[in-house]
Amino acid sequence: MKPARRPWLLTATATLITAAFLLPVYWMLNTSLTEPDRILGESPRWIPAPLTTENYSAALDDDALVQALFNSLVISCGVVALTLLFGVPLSYALARVRMRGSGTMVLALLVAQLPPSIVLAAPLFILERRAGIDDTYLGLIAADTTLTLPFAVIVLRPVLRGVPRELEEAALVDGCGLVGVLLRIVLPLMVPGLVAVAGLSFLIGWGEFVFGLTLAKEPGVQPVTVLLNSFVGQHGTAWGALMATAAVVCVPVVCVFAIFQRFIVGGLTAGSIKS
Amino acid sequence: MRPRLTSASRSPSARLRRTGYLFTLPGLAFLALFLAYPLLYNAWTSVHDVGLSGLLGGATRFNGLANYRATVADPDFWHAARLSVVFTVGSLLFQFTIGFALALFFARPFPLNGLLRSLLLVAWLLPPVVSGTLFRWMLDGESGAYNALLRAVGPDTLARDWLIDPGTALAGVVFANVWVGVPFNMLLLLVGLHTIDPELHEAAAIDGASAWQRLRWITLPLMRPVSVTVLLLGLVYTFKVFDIIFVMTGGGPVDATSVLSLYVYEVFFRFFRFGEGAAAGVLLLVVPLLAGIGYVRRLRREEREEGAV
Repeated sequence: MKPARRPWLLTATATLITAAFLLPVYWMLNTSLTEPDRILGESPRWIPAPLTTENYSAALDDDALVQALFNSLVISCGVVALTLLFGVPLSYALARVRMRGSGTMVLALLVAQLPPSIVLAAPLFILERRAGIDDTYLGLIAADTTLTLPFAVIVLRPVLRGVPRELEEAALVDGCGLVGVLLRIVLPLMVPGLVAVAGLSFLIGWGEFVFGLTLAKEPGVQPVTVLLNSFVGQHGTAWGALMATAAVVCVPVVCVFAIFQRFIVGGLTAGSIKS
Repeated sequence: MRPRLTSASRSPSARLRRTGYLFTLPGLAFLALFLAYPLLYNAWTSVHDVGLSGLLGGATRFNGLANYRATVADPDFWHAARLSVVFTVGSLLFQFTIGFALALFFARPFPLNGLLRSLLLVAWLLPPVVSGTLFRWMLDGESGAYNALLRAVGPDTLARDWLIDPGTALAGVVFANVWVGVPFNMLLLLVGLHTIDPELHEAAAIDGASAWQRLRWITLPLMRPVSVTVLLLGLVYTFKVFDIIFVMTGGGPVDATSVLSLYVYEVFFRFFRFGEGAAAGVLLLVVPLLAGIGYVRRLRREEREEGAV
């Protein structure tokens, strides 16, 4: 489209829209930095003055929060590892090797994204308990990976198709096996796709709630999302500490997004519109 | 002749195929174990009389469609179904319209466009539990920021306890869910807008078409396929929503926001009526499956059309 006549006017409007839209996020930070006894009242304060970190120290003083943050970190990293471990070879085979049933497999992966988590959580609750992996990191990582793996393959398959076939064929002629081709030729070329999948898998693992709520009762493994929810119920009106906790939960999300932003946006659109 | 990865005629390719199957094995085995089998097990549970003892592997009894009959006879189920429809339609309507408007706006080049767009996307990436907590606070009756804004622009009666009043609680959770969905809709629709050939707009502009006419006769018709895809995806995602509602209202007040996913949770995890919960779960799959079939058929058609080019 041709450049607009007054681009800075557009920028100003866009900034206003973005600011208005993100008001809840600003409000979280605002409340979390306001002194607890100034938070409630009919005329909210738009700026946290005087500034205080009291809410944050109160929130982080709670060992349960630190433990839950650690749990979520373990779970999210586990989800990333498992997703890549299963997803890379699977999407490579589906993108490149003509096999009987590969069309059905791709279709199955699309269908796998349809069930609501709660429908899967119900049988998993019984099955994981019988298998003795309820209340374990493994049980939660496995459950979360059912969300990320189908998605990962849908994102990675088109990326792999974009790798020039001639490169692989040359390597095959030179006597590389499929594993060699994958490791030496393809993997380095698909780094952006891998980064997108890793980043998104982390975010999905970090934000997951339904499985955390239903498959883990033990505070030693419960993710931080479940803890935040129980805080909301317990300290219904201690909004300062609640918002500080929420802000702490957001930190890894913002970091991952800031670092991987370019890749993630590319991966998201690739996965949804085309597959 | 060069060796081809996809040719079936050479023996190295037979080996390739074998390795290919081996590559798919771990991932598919995992999904079979943790996704397919549990869903089948859920279907099995739905036709059995399973209570709390079933958890420990105790006796269960085949009871045919009794669980389904009990679910369909439960007025709470239909109440939840109605709420799901309102929640889904309301969310889709607003997040798509606002997302489309924002996409049109952000499709024009201007400084800081990319940065602002990424900032908007943050709303979509926040854990739903966090967004739910934020909106619980924003919509708080006395001290919530949105009520303060309403009091500032209009009569005091506009401000209310959005999530505590049964008449407005559903609107409150739809509002929060729209906030989460808008950036995603915008992102996908932007991709669609960028595929429209700018020369079409230029030619129409030269012929004297107004901005409105170009939107009506060029952009909207060409955006139709992308829009349908975005709406189908949105339908699947929105119908699934559990966490944001659970955190904001827990389904209350008095079941005013207890959509189907929360209904399943209640029956299964609160009352431990596993058989009936499983039956409700199976029924919950109907809408996403229908949307999924629509989505896959569209993809197939697109692939065929691309193949023909």
